[in-house]
Amino acid sequence: MNRDRRFFAGLVGVAAIVTWLIWTGITDTMVYYLTPTELLERMEDGAEQSERMQRGVKVSGDVLPGSLVAHTDELKHQFVVVDPDNRDVQLIVHFRHPLPDTFTDEAEVVMEGRYLGDGIFEATEVLTKCGSRYEALPEDMDDRDAGYGAEDPYAGYGDGDSYAGYGEVYPDAGYGAGELYVEATGEDAYARNGGI
Amino acid sequence: MTFILGIVLATLVVFFILHPLVSGRSAPMDRSEEELTEAQHRKRIALFALRDVEYDYHAGKLDEDDYRKMKREIASEALEALAEEEQEWAARQGREAAEAEKRAATNGRVATIAGDSAVEDEIRALRSSLKEGLICRECGHPNPVGSRFCSACGSALAASPPAAPSGSPAGGSS
Amino acid sequence: MLPAIGEFALWISLPITLWGAVMAFLGGRWGRGDLVLSAERSVYAVFALLAVASAGIIAAFLTDRFDFWYVSNYSSRNLETYFKVSGLWAGQRGSLLFWALNLGFFSALAVWLNRKKNRDLMPWVSGVLLLVIAFFIGITLFITPPFERLPFTPQDGRGLNPQLQNYWMTIHPPTLYLGFTAFTIPFAFAIASLLSGRLDARWIEVTRKWILTSWFFLTLGIVFGMRWAYEELGWGGYWFWDPVENASLLPWIVATAFLHSVMIQESRGMLKIWNMALVCLTFIMTIFATFLTRSGLIESVHSFALSLEIAYAFLGFMGVTFAISAILILWRLPQLRSDRQFESFLSRESAFLLNNLVLLGAGFAVLWGTMFPLITEGITGSKVSVGPPFFNQVNIPIGLMLLALMGIGPVIAWRRASARNLKKNFLIPTAVGIGTGVVLWVMGVRHLYALLTFAIGVFVLWIIAVEFWKGTRARARIEGENLAIAFTHLVKRNRRRWGGYIVHVGVVVMFMGFAGAAFDREVRQSMVPGESVSITSAFGHTYTLTYEGLSTARAQNMWQWIALMRVERDGQPLGTMTTERRFYEAPPQPMTEVGIRSTAFEDLYVILSTLDEQVGMGNDPQFQRATFQVMVNPLVPWIWYGGLIIAIGTLIAMWPGGPVPQQRAGSTGATPGRRDDEKGPGDPGIGAGADGDRSSAEPARTPVGAAP
Repeated sequence: MNRDRRFFAGLVGVAAIVTWLIWTGITDTMVYYLTPTELLERMEDGAEQSERMQRGVKVSGDVLPGSLVAHTDELKHQFVVVDPDNRDVQLIVHFRHPLPDTFTDEAEVVMEGRYLGDGIFEATEVLTKCGSRYEALPEDMDDRDAGYGAEDPYAGYGDGDSYAGYGEVYPDAGYGAGELYVEATGEDAYARNGGI
Repeated sequence: MTFILGIVLATLVVFFILHPLVSGRSAPMDRSEEELTEAQHRKRIALFALRDVEYDYHAGKLDEDDYRKMKREIASEALEALAEEEQEWAARQGREAAEAEKRAATNGRVATIAGDSAVEDEIRALRSSLKEGLICRECGHPNPVGSRFCSACGSALAASPPAAPSGSPAGGSS
Repeated sequence: MLPAIGEFALWISLPITLWGAVMAFLGGRWGRGDLVLSAERSVYAVFALLAVASAGIIAAFLTDRFDFWYVSNYSSRNLETYFKVSGLWAGQRGSLLFWALNLGFFSALAVWLNRKKNRDLMPWVSGVLLLVIAFFIGITLFITPPFERLPFTPQDGRGLNPQLQNYWMTIHPPTLYLGFTAFTIPFAFAIASLLSGRLDARWIEVTRKWILTSWFFLTLGIVFGMRWAYEELGWGGYWFWDPVENASLLPWIVATAFLHSVMIQESRGMLKIWNMALVCLTFIMTIFATFLTRSGLIESVHSFALSLEIAYAFLGFMGVTFAISAILILWRLPQLRSDRQFESFLSRESAFLLNNLVLLGAGFAVLWGTMFPLITEGITGSKVSVGPPFFNQVNIPIGLMLLALMGIGPVIAWRRASARNLKKNFLIPTAVGIGTGVVLWVMGVRHLYALLTFAIGVFVLWIIAVEFWKGTRARARIEGENLAIAFTHLVKRNRRRWGGYIVHVGVVVMFMGFAGAAFDREVRQSMVPGESVSITSAFGHTYTLTYEGLSTARAQNMWQWIALMRVERDGQPLGTMTTERRFYEAPPQPMTEVGIRSTAFEDLYVILSTLDEQVGMGNDPQFQRATFQVMVNPLVPWIWYGGLIIAIGTLIAMWPGGPVPQQRAGSTGATPGRRDDEKGPGDPGIGAGADGDRSSAEPARTPVGAAP
């Protein structure tokens, strides 16, 4: 019995240490993940930023095409990020590191940094998602994730939309998934695949 | 063309997997003779453990009391397993001898009997030694009749109790 | 033609797996060898069919069949051939088929290796394996069909993501998949044991071998992934605590725990229930890992679209697997119980159990941190983010605890460690460890975790070195061999123990490699040709890089801007390095190729971050202005060396053969199936099971000295 008690004491001890580590870990490092609208709402009443907010905040949004101003030699970038649901809500982002390779004018970005007030966001980290109308080709760090995307490759396309490089698509013309009609334009070869 | 190849592939596969049901060919369901039995496995593991304990003791990680205690525990497990193994072996030899006799009776193959009789003799000798011999008190090893010292651990047999006088094979329980 | 046959093969493989599973379970239940044979042949057949299907996909890639949706999205005409081949696992659809293929391979291997062994278990094993394969084939066919056609044939494909166009693409995924899928086999054996009630020594032995093999591939796969990230992603980092990375760590952690606790079961007969649960949990974790990656549920940098169908399918599968495992274990609980108890807190059993608890604690922390954002969003609706700071804060202390256990475990006494035992075995190593810490402090190292890593690491290395030394010397003395030969024989005769020690050495080296990150240095500068930048490493070396110029090259599917740097260290010329900026055509995307120059102790890491807007307008140096990031990463090479050492240690531990201790007692003749290679002194005979008053008999059997 004495032995069992000692054993359980050890078990509880380890569990307690790990739990404490996880608890303090979360409370110390967790950051909110907001849209620009939510961020500005929190900052709106001029209220003091909570300690957590001062530590940092993560914001996602769309890059406003044409807003990128880069100063190569000082590695200071500035661009505008808008809320995808409300494009009037904008943040001016300052970023002093090289932009990721997948950063484009139409990219969706996830940034971590601090809000400085007056609509200015100082980002310490910028990551891009590929928010274009393609089958989502993620910039990724792990091969296994490459190219995971919409199950319906033509999702989000309307009739007459150009399907990158292939020609025009007519998804609403009554064709089911896999049967979408794509009209080749230009010199694209247009072949029916028949049989096996 | 592709269609034909597909049909051929499907046919081959179906034939391959249905063949056993049709022909009655069977996968082995029982333990093969080469495979270790459960008892042999336990013996093997016990021997490994014993070796590790030896090493640990000589390397100073185990003090003397614990060493002896552990060694005794593991050794007795090993002996149990060994005894079981001997039972199995004897039983198997018995089975094989019986089958050989049957075969000889039906086919008249004397040669088979001759080969087996050597084995049979050994079995008889073992059985009788176990029946009339002595089980070592220290290590449980069965010793042939007339032994004065245990052939396994070397301790004197004089004070050991006689083996069970019944006709059962391998009275080897430690 | 081959793609079409491949598609057909994939379709018929599903009914075959179902047929085989039915045959296996019925055959096992009714004792019908013919049904079982049919089931085992189904396993072989399914593997062959999956191979044909995979060949079909590869053929489609190689022949530029862009009428296949999958090919057109992951390939292009000008893609190198070996990337076309690796297209099989480049995307969700193909990689599910690839998973099934690997699973089929290991299943066929398991069935074949056991065609004459473990026959009472094999029907159930085959059945379980076939059901798992059926699940993966089912998902592949009905949710993510790899052979889906476009209604027309595009002229060219969209190409492979440039970040995948790297030779690691041909190495890392296959290795990782081999590791993941191989864990299915021990799981199948566990279920088979539970179903058949054969919960004996054989189960442990066959399971251990398979788990070691899977662990080998999974560890290698993870290390390859780290190397790839380091080489390709150009941030100087190798691990980002990304959800997908974390997912691969979970089964690894559970498998490592099992590899240790199984040792207790073997020598002390304890923890049977625990081990059975760990094997099942390892398998469930591999499914969880692939679920996290493929479902898109956890938002990560890898922004793949949410696929609820995949998510539900995998969740359902995990739920069923968990339920079946739990029910079976509970059902067999009485038979699994052991009667031994933990005797003392200071003993090897406790150290091993502590190892398990700490490992699982780390696993839980990783799981929690990964799932926390999802759970919080589900409960409170607000989105939060948990990133590297959390994982580092939690896992570094846990890692240090594990490091310490690696030194304590091998040496602490079984059952009950006396004060004498503790002093004898730990006094010097602890002193050496503390001494190392002090020396480093004096030398200027102030980072706490780095200090602890080195101090504890040296403590562990010392203990292991002493183990090797004692063993080798004793053996050399007894056998009269020279030290080198004695060492080789020592290892050969107990591969598990010594292989395991070597793995621990590798882990220590790797941890030290991680600790080096505390001393990274970085400098950033914009330069035109002729200018140079200097950086001083933590070890005191000053590297000077002179930008020589920019050149252009064109490869099959990209343009390259190559910057040439001349390198000097402490004034000594070392040669040149290059770093590149690449512009891929399909899909159009820029990428950076870093330049790495490794020595045994540090890496010089150069990144060409940005080029002048007017690059290429002419040869004027102004057009060749570029911004470079130069880093010195101390001890990173040790991560790769550590990985290599771990691999070697695992191979040694796995290697088949090795002597079985000879049993001496008895006149029993045939003991079939035993392999007795060498027999040397130190092998205990059965008769040596006697005790106390036997001391005179001992030396005759087991010579003094540690001859294992």
